[in-house]
Amino acid sequence: MRAKAVIGTPPRTVTIHVDGRPVSVVEGVSLAAALVGDRTWTFRYNPVSEEPRGPFCGMGVCLECEVTVDGRPGVRACLTPVRPGMRVETEEERA
Amino acid sequence: MTVHERDVVIVGGGPAGLAAAHRLAAAGLSVTVVDEQAELGGQYFRRPAPEVARVWGDHRPEGGRLVGAVRAAGVECRTGHLVWGVGDDGRTLLVCDPAERPVRLRGRYLIIATGAHERPFPFPGWQLPGVTTPGFAQHLAAADHTPIGERVVLAGSGPFLLPVACSLLDLGVTVAGIAEAGRPYRPSTRALGTVRHPARLRELAGYAARLARARVPLWQNTVVVRADGGDRITSVTLAAATAPTRPVRTVQVDALCVGYGFRPQTDLARMLGCAVRTDPATGDATPELDDSGRSSRDDVYVIGEAAGIGGAPVAEVRGLAAALDILGREGHEPRAGEVRGLAAAGRRLAHFKRLTDALYPAPAELARLLPSALPDAATLCRCEAVSAGEVRGIARTAGRDVNAAKAWTRAGMGPCQGRECGFAVTAVTRVSPADGLPAGVFPSRLPVRPVPVATLLEMAGEGEPA
Repeated sequence: MRAKAVIGTPPRTVTIHVDGRPVSVVEGVSLAAALVGDRTWTFRYNPVSEEPRGPFCGMGVCLECEVTVDGRPGVRACLTPVRPGMRVETEEERA
Repeated sequence: MTVHERDVVIVGGGPAGLAAAHRLAAAGLSVTVVDEQAELGGQYFRRPAPEVARVWGDHRPEGGRLVGAVRAAGVECRTGHLVWGVGDDGRTLLVCDPAERPVRLRGRYLIIATGAHERPFPFPGWQLPGVTTPGFAQHLAAADHTPIGERVVLAGSGPFLLPVACSLLDLGVTVAGIAEAGRPYRPSTRALGTVRHPARLRELAGYAARLARARVPLWQNTVVVRADGGDRITSVTLAAATAPTRPVRTVQVDALCVGYGFRPQTDLARMLGCAVRTDPATGDATPELDDSGRSSRDDVYVIGEAAGIGGAPVAEVRGLAAALDILGREGHEPRAGEVRGLAAAGRRLAHFKRLTDALYPAPAELARLLPSALPDAATLCRCEAVSAGEVRGIARTAGRDVNAAKAWTRAGMGPCQGRECGFAVTAVTRVSPADGLPAGVFPSRLPVRPVPVATLLEMAGEGEPA
């Protein structure tokens, strides 16, 4: 069963940079989880409607969770484990 | 570029692909499993981050044991590899590795175990951040120990909503309610049939008991008709499935997870030329297969959820059946009782599947009910931001043809290739509610997923067709 936190062994964390801001996350979780856990839900804006969009399917199908990682665009956050020092950019609102 | 030649290449490392890989490698065949996730396991056995497993435990330790056995059997495991197409020879899989370099794989046999994805149905606001599939909430909880929100409604249809609700409760999330489109949860003659399957029934009953103890409301005959919010959902409005135009309640939430079961993911099988037919009950294109999963192409097998939704135990049986068929063709003898045992397990599971299917509304029934609650202004195709009204307009003038609707409105033309809106486009293009689901699905298109331009350029630079 889950949810049996082992007392005295807190999870190891790593620091990633989200839009230039340091965020501490549990080592090895998905980037989508890291952002959602940090209360970031707007990952990008739809190119047609310009509405905010966030992760939807969580399994690489919908492509709504695409962000830029270390300068590489179009990375699906739901399939990408965090790495220490990773630089993540969500999309800026289109003015 | 080198083409990696193997006896068997398996696309998809979930329960079906892993079962097939393990059996084939144990018999000495050279086997490669390709999967786009960072670790094997598929969606059902999705592996927790090692640090999550160390501190909070593994939600499916049997998945970890199976992955370990597959690696120990000598299977080449290409994780983080995206299969995005098929070469001009109709055999070579075009793959993109984690560093975005092109890779080519060829097997004397190909096993397609690409699984399923969830079946959403749109409503106004379904594109808001914080509206997700139940599967995403489950992955966040089980693999990443991350709650999807603080106050959540689960909605849609099917048994999967119950374990997801339990996973959220385990993380301390308030599950404000579960909206189930059907009326499955009551004593009925159909439910009694599941008594012959006590283990599976116990699993479902265990979830139901946990939800009852936590006093989670279970609203039956209830569907989501709208979500509201700004840059994140703040409330969800529900109505009776049988009268979806009359809302009955609005619930404050910071996340809403909606899914109406699962659809087989068959794009790669179709691209390989495997014959498919449209299942009239679901509107899904399923491959035409023999009992071992062999397709209309002698060298291509389709197994697991891609062969038709059945659940993880069915997927493992299908994986083993395909492995045994290949081994037979290669002159290997099955183990004593192996074939008979597999056939018996398959029959038992198929019986259970028929009983549980009967408890929940069939997709054809949902396609009849849900469109009446979808106003013309609602977004139908979330990639291309096409409204339901635009698709309806084309259906009135061009007839009930999903591909005409696609061509005229761009619905289904975006990066998800209609995987999210396809079922709804099909449902909405019906002219009269009495119509059946129109035959025809969006065709499979190369690449099946967006591929980095750098990968294509590298392939083109080598004089290979990209």
